[in-house]
Amino acid sequence: MPVGGNKQAPVITELEEAIVVSPLSGREWDVSGATSRMLESRVLTDYGSAGFARIAALEGGESLEYCYGCGKCVPVCPVDLVSEYGPRKIHRRVQTGLDLFRSDELWMCTTCGNCLRVCPKQVNMIEVMPAVREVAMADGTIPEELQQVMEKTFRYGNALGENPRRRHAWTKGADVEVRVLANDPRPVDVLFYVEDYWSYHPRGQQAAQAFARILTSLDVDFAILGSEEKTLGDSQRLAGEKGLFESLMEQVVEVLSKYQFNRIVTPDPHGFNALRKIYPKYGHDYEAMHYSQLLASMIDRIEFQGTLDAKVTFHDPCYLGRHNGEYEAPRKLLEAIPGVELLEMGRCRENSYCCGGGGGGMWLDGFNSNHASERLSERRVREAAETGADILAVACPYEVSRFEDAAKSTGNEHLRVMDIAEMLDIAMRAQDWRI
Amino acid sequence: MQERVVVVGGGPAGISAAIAAAELGAPVTVVEKNAYLGGRPIEENYASLTPYLESAEEVMGRLIDRLTAFDNVDILTSSQVIGKSGDSRPFELDVLTGSTATKLKAGSIIIATGFTHFDPGRETQLYGYYEFEDVVALQDLEAMLKEGKVVRPSNGETPQRVCFVQCVGSRDRQIGNEYCSKVCCGVASKEAIEVKLAIPNAEVFIFYIDMRMYGYWESQLYWPAQEQHHVQYVKGIITEVLPKAGKLLVRGEDTTMGRPMEVLMDMVVLSVGMEASPGTRKMAVLLGVEQNKYGFIEAAHSPLDTVSTSVNGVYAVGAALGPSDLEDCASTGGLAAAKAVRDLHALV
Repeated sequence: MPVGGNKQAPVITELEEAIVVSPLSGREWDVSGATSRMLESRVLTDYGSAGFARIAALEGGESLEYCYGCGKCVPVCPVDLVSEYGPRKIHRRVQTGLDLFRSDELWMCTTCGNCLRVCPKQVNMIEVMPAVREVAMADGTIPEELQQVMEKTFRYGNALGENPRRRHAWTKGADVEVRVLANDPRPVDVLFYVEDYWSYHPRGQQAAQAFARILTSLDVDFAILGSEEKTLGDSQRLAGEKGLFESLMEQVVEVLSKYQFNRIVTPDPHGFNALRKIYPKYGHDYEAMHYSQLLASMIDRIEFQGTLDAKVTFHDPCYLGRHNGEYEAPRKLLEAIPGVELLEMGRCRENSYCCGGGGGGMWLDGFNSNHASERLSERRVREAAETGADILAVACPYEVSRFEDAAKSTGNEHLRVMDIAEMLDIAMRAQDWRI
Repeated sequence: MQERVVVVGGGPAGISAAIAAAELGAPVTVVEKNAYLGGRPIEENYASLTPYLESAEEVMGRLIDRLTAFDNVDILTSSQVIGKSGDSRPFELDVLTGSTATKLKAGSIIIATGFTHFDPGRETQLYGYYEFEDVVALQDLEAMLKEGKVVRPSNGETPQRVCFVQCVGSRDRQIGNEYCSKVCCGVASKEAIEVKLAIPNAEVFIFYIDMRMYGYWESQLYWPAQEQHHVQYVKGIITEVLPKAGKLLVRGEDTTMGRPMEVLMDMVVLSVGMEASPGTRKMAVLLGVEQNKYGFIEAAHSPLDTVSTSVNGVYAVGAALGPSDLEDCASTGGLAAAKAVRDLHALV
């Protein structure tokens, strides 16, 4: 501070040990050794177009500089609520010299799409972020944990790094026969594209088994690719690995070309998004459905043997709802289940809050814990619990594990997290299910 | 003596009014104090007009050609109205042309005496308009653009960093101008685009309190300036300009970042607002029409009659009524002409 004509620049010091406690969640995190922001120079000394020009040179990066600072994006940005982050702020920080290519902010966007929904200037962070991330990937400036997922995806064809041969291990517990096309390549109506988390995650596998039982009871002619299936890789694409996505696509298209099927049905809104919006840009057109859409189209044929007496709230997956406009199918299914009372959260449908898993967020929990007061999934679980619901129903394979962890960490263990497929399966099979 | 529609002022609004009245068949006299027609855009050497960036000389030239083609229009340049007799129509006006006094019988009068640029020397912020050569006003930059030579007045070098400071002399209770001058956001954006076209490598900044781009100017000027010409808009106004190492240090608060800013510039352009011109003030008194507290002529029956004044048969158009763009000048000119010609017929 300047004192009596003796102007001295503030000294930037490092704190040896410091723990910051979130006033929201009570969560603590360690900022030891980090520079205190209060001691950085507060004066902005330049603005410029150069940062925008670098980003605008990338395909999809043009719109960042269109921001005129209205701030509509910030209140709907899920990350802003738990962190010092928001699209408008990114614009201003790039204008004041931030190197987005090497900044932590680059990895915090979940590409949930809520900012684009409200942006009057159509600043498209869903395109800006992946474009910049792609460069950062090539430069090797990418969070370690994300890099590992990319390597696993490259090596094993799935984000979990699991053995590809065990991709259909879940079918053993389904209690119904699940046809694998490699073993029985006859034409099939529904190609069930299981995707990673229903294939490998224990809770995902349970949902996959439930879905297989439902399809069987509805006499749907379906089959899976088994060990020939690889992830569609849409989240890897949005996390910046466009090259990996394209290489996966080539492999997927080649496998698909071997079989005859009418439509692809997947539980993963991210894969659904890839098939519906990205594959056609490369000339690959398939009839793709989210599993909730297929089941909703057959709702009149579903026979429920029992009831599921519960208050239920539903979390709209970003890539099913906002990105692809499907809000009704999951609700139609939930409302059809005898005993279910559907309670909506304040933020739902178009304005649904993000679970934090999209755009690579699924694999950045460690990284994000250094930047956020709590996980997005924790904030969302809190909202779900506030409705008084017994069950948080989900329709995206990323969410069961995220929300179950969050329910525990926020002290909301009473809130059961269930996939809609599991709930349908219970009511159809007349299992004695009570809260 | 034939009763005429007398238009006082030969700028965009006055010429628009005179043409419209002439088209309706009325005898018209235009009284212009300068030796030439064209008003502010010509007098102040505007390079181009907002929002289409057309040459001011060409646009005004076309308008003047249309006016002078009428047989029923008299144009008195280097002339001023210096007296009026009669409190109601028809009025008798004393006009001085050079040293020659004449009388005009006016069935109706249209005041088109316009605005003057706010004098930045009266600004309460320390912008140093008269202290630093490289601090200029919008119209100074217009003149440079018209010459095709945008340089730092202090040394003739091409500026690499140019900023505009908005709301100079407008929206300020202390200065006494509590109104928004309406056009400066658009004009600054237009000039910013022109600077970028003239000096592609230059960084151009606009520091603002609110960007007020009404109507189509939003997509005609603001968005292209930002999206295609990469003009950097910064919300936060400059409060002082200081000399530093041969350049200008602009200081203010970046309000969206909540942080102070100190940025070096080669040239600072003050986006000065509009004030009632001396001619507007003088004519208001001479013709006895009510003015608002800012010296502009009060439209007595606004909002749906934008041109009638407190005196029957006397109308005001364009920036004599308050901050106006060219569309306002043309619109009010046409409306006043219709009313003025109606008055002429009513006398018969």
